[in-house]
Amino acid sequence: MDFLSLLAPPKVTRSLLTSPSSLFSAALSLRIVLLLYGLYQDAHGPLKYTDIDYGVFTDAARYISYGHSPYLRDTYRYTPLLAWILLPTTWEPQHIWFSFGKALFAISDILAGWMIFVVLQKRGTSQMRALKYSGIWLLNPMVATISTRGSSEGLLCVMVMALLWATEMRHIALSGVLLGLAVHFKIYPFIYGVSILWSLEPPAPNPSRPAVKEETHTSIFSKLSTFLNQDRLVFIFTSLATFSALNISMFALYGTPFMQHTYLHHLTRIDHRHNFSPYNILLYLSSANIVTTAHLSSLRFESLAFIPQLVLSTLLIPVSISNSSLPRAMLAQTFAFVTFNKVCTSQYFLWYLIFLPIYLPDSVLIRNPTLGFSVLGAWVAGQTVWLWQGYKLEMLGESSFVPGLWSSSLLFFAVNCWILGIVISDHGPGGHGLGPAPEKGHHKVDTIYPREKTLKEEGVRGVEDDSDEESDVEEIPREQTVEEMVREEMKRRRQYARTGVDSTASDRQQTDVLLGEYMDDIQSLISPDE
Amino acid sequence: MRRRSTFLHDPKLEVDPRQLYLSGDRFVIENLRAAREERLTVGLDELPEELCQVLRQSHELHIRWASEDIYDAIPPFVSKISPGLHVFYTPLQRQSGDLLCPLLHKVFSSTLKCRSPLSTFTTPHLRSGRFASTSSLQYHSLLPSLNSLTQYIQRYLCKHSDQQCLHSAPLLNVADTVDIDYDSISHILIFTAHWSRPPAVLYDPLTGRTAENGWSLSVDTSANAEKVEVGVLGNEPPTDPSEISLSGFLTVVGEDDHPKPTLFSFPSRHHALPPSQSQDQRYKVSFLQPTGLHPKMQISFPTASALKPPANKPADSACALHTYLTLPSALFADKYQLSATADTAFMQSHHLTALRAISGETDLEAPDYVVEKWGSNLLVELAVPPPSSSSRKLARSTPPNQVPDSSSRGWNVTIPLHLRYFPPSPTGYSTIDIPNPILFWACTAEEGTKFPVNPFDRVNLGYEGLFGGRTMFYHLDPAPGPDLGAAGRGEEGSGRGKLVQRIRVPVLNMEAWGAEWVEWGTVAVVMLGFLWVVCKLWASGLSVRGEAGPKGVGGRPVEADAREEEEEEEEHEREKKKKK
Repeated sequence: MDFLSLLAPPKVTRSLLTSPSSLFSAALSLRIVLLLYGLYQDAHGPLKYTDIDYGVFTDAARYISYGHSPYLRDTYRYTPLLAWILLPTTWEPQHIWFSFGKALFAISDILAGWMIFVVLQKRGTSQMRALKYSGIWLLNPMVATISTRGSSEGLLCVMVMALLWATEMRHIALSGVLLGLAVHFKIYPFIYGVSILWSLEPPAPNPSRPAVKEETHTSIFSKLSTFLNQDRLVFIFTSLATFSALNISMFALYGTPFMQHTYLHHLTRIDHRHNFSPYNILLYLSSANIVTTAHLSSLRFESLAFIPQLVLSTLLIPVSISNSSLPRAMLAQTFAFVTFNKVCTSQYFLWYLIFLPIYLPDSVLIRNPTLGFSVLGAWVAGQTVWLWQGYKLEMLGESSFVPGLWSSSLLFFAVNCWILGIVISDHGPGGHGLGPAPEKGHHKVDTIYPREKTLKEEGVRGVEDDSDEESDVEEIPREQTVEEMVREEMKRRRQYARTGVDSTASDRQQTDVLLGEYMDDIQSLISPDE
Repeated sequence: MRRRSTFLHDPKLEVDPRQLYLSGDRFVIENLRAAREERLTVGLDELPEELCQVLRQSHELHIRWASEDIYDAIPPFVSKISPGLHVFYTPLQRQSGDLLCPLLHKVFSSTLKCRSPLSTFTTPHLRSGRFASTSSLQYHSLLPSLNSLTQYIQRYLCKHSDQQCLHSAPLLNVADTVDIDYDSISHILIFTAHWSRPPAVLYDPLTGRTAENGWSLSVDTSANAEKVEVGVLGNEPPTDPSEISLSGFLTVVGEDDHPKPTLFSFPSRHHALPPSQSQDQRYKVSFLQPTGLHPKMQISFPTASALKPPANKPADSACALHTYLTLPSALFADKYQLSATADTAFMQSHHLTALRAISGETDLEAPDYVVEKWGSNLLVELAVPPPSSSSRKLARSTPPNQVPDSSSRGWNVTIPLHLRYFPPSPTGYSTIDIPNPILFWACTAEEGTKFPVNPFDRVNLGYEGLFGGRTMFYHLDPAPGPDLGAAGRGEEGSGRGKLVQRIRVPVLNMEAWGAEWVEWGTVAVVMLGFLWVVCKLWASGLSVRGEAGPKGVGGRPVEADAREEEEEEEEHEREKKKKK
């Protein structure tokens, strides 16, 4: 749906996307209309517009207003902060103040949209394009509906987007505080800690080492001290301090119920009810103690489910991507976290959709619309198949657990892995194998570049596996310029070694990106005595 | 032991004095068509030790059982409870009472879901603290038959020589309700059984006679009874609407030389509706199809316009229609969904006024196989059709699935419920039986009304404690319906319908294609997906490493550094070796 509105914006939308004021007033009006509609629907229709969880939050706020613990409300599994923020929902007159939380969530939504807009511009997107892409979030009816129905996800999204914004703007202390707060609110944002930490490279790179190793003895300590630059230390300190301060104060106020419902509950929950997660049926089976010894009862695979999830989202993805693009790393991390999670409901999708407007502009999904539409189609189709099985179970009372729900959740999982692979391999325009289809022409690379074969494989291994003709073509421009670039780079480096003045940093970065792994070969070409 | 036998005959049927007579210490009844209540009051010393042990741990123990068959109630035996076994229990100490469940298993059924009162029983929700006599713990289970109790009585309670005891016990198999009450103040156990009509065939071992559709029996004092009273009574029109009047004959066997005519009145907590109203307000319980995972229980009345407060209530009494549900743990109501203040439009669409009380297992998330409690109870006030007979208004408030026919428009109430998950089964489905709820008009009684003077008063039913002490209950009758028993349980039903609904719960089908591969399949697919993503990362990592190479320390991947170090170390070692 998001891609659709983006790739072929209807005329009305297009006109809204001309200036920030018109976009934001459109976003605001959309939410006001939905809020008012919700009030009408709640008062007159048997089906409620307001989310069930909103009742949980407001009940908890009411308990707080009476001086009780919010955890007296069953299924309140959030930080007391949320109930505190919603205290105004208990004020009189109720018909006005009860909607305070929905308005707050909607405003958070818009704030998140504004930060998307800012981050996009910071990343060099033109204002028009930035407007268009932040419109994906701001004018998205799904997003607006979720927040105006009173789901707290909007609040979380604004925190996560603020976290990205603060990091991109290099407000390190602020981003640390935001991370601590977000993790306190909902545990999962802790995964961003790794990628932000990894991305906090010194703003101006140190004078690059000569091609030949100078430091022969690098102790672990010195490497650690190089890694732990000031930014990283500030980030670690502020995030840990915020997180601990919030938890300690909440524990002091509400004691064990706070720990139990906010955190420990997630360790003991059974999660047997049907949801999108691939583990779902397995969890139902094992929770009912039906896994007999003939199967693998002693192994209890489901208890190891956190391993692939955390290995991907907190280790492999941040380490390999966050250096090149933090938003893409955060998108991939969240996507991996949600895909490999033991529970997955549609509100979790919002967690990664927030990053989409920032990722999309330079993404292969836009450069290659066929692929973009295939991804969107597969994602929607995967959900539709599952939802149909879920409908048969939930409404018609048919036993569709196996094979229906099981296979459709695995199918949706496979689709998500495929999409995750695309996001991971997408190095943006100019990246390997994923750039826009270049002009025709086919040349052999000179044999002095021993990596040629690997490169070619990579081009093929890229996202566009399904379109072989294109991937063959992609390496061409690189091949044509590679020799020149190598020569230039060598010249530049020699000059730099002599004068100590680097040629324009942006140029260099671009060459680095273009040359990619050819640089290893270049290094071997530059002899130490030169 | 004391015994009180009461026969309540239809007021239209005149009792012929020749049907009742005393012959010495024996009171003889011949072919009497009447409802019967038998009440035995027993001291602890007359009971076997295993019962006494449990009772000594109890502060209060009230057991109620009701048949699953529909029966006609006659005042004063009109109070209703959902079918099955109800236990209301207050232990002397919180930790005591561990013997209760084993005893219930032995006496009533070995399959009862009962581990211990603390883990299985629920705590009734008291809206008003005014009615303090309610027990602290509550339990229910469906129990179609009292066979097990009959056998227990015959084996452990009857003396081997006591022919009357041995022969009377099986009568419990056709009883409509059985109550057992004990409290630690009086130290006596009261056992009450009620039959709404005589059994089809009855054999009296003492007289050797057989009667059909009538009570023919003789009551004597010989069997270790201190006192035996027999009453043969009929209803009289009461002078006060909150009272019940009875007339007939009372006899103390062994003391009186002839049945003594009597007429007496007493205030009553439980009432029946007048016959015409009772007919019009008969309700039918069903589940809307398909039930899915969120079954809706529907209570339907034949005529909306007849749904009016009882005509026999006191003039200044205010009444409201209520239903009291007893739900097994398989099924639950979401108290937040039903809370009246939050959503009146939703409640109105179901013709509900408010959820008045809910207790028991109301966890919204737990599957049935981890729930320890037996289930839950809820008291819901129902909406009644608007009093003005403006047909337009009515038509709008009638659910769309009903034909709006002005003459015989019905009234449907639906109660949204939710199913828990059940363990997998080889068919993909499990069935659960749900006792029908009971319905009554709760009406206020005058100040100073003293119900306990009623010799037939019945309390500890679960719902009366949720109201104030001076509340009268006008019970509605269930409409005869299709007999579940014949099809469902494979038993002979009464032919008038069962007070139990059976619904089908979808569960994981163990025989379905792929079921045996769930574990391996899931693990394999997750591993494949994981490896796919790792491959992608590795492939893109290769190119990133290439890019990062010349950028210097910061941009260098850790592995590269590590590898270099290893190489360096190896070189050092080689050099060392050379030096050696």
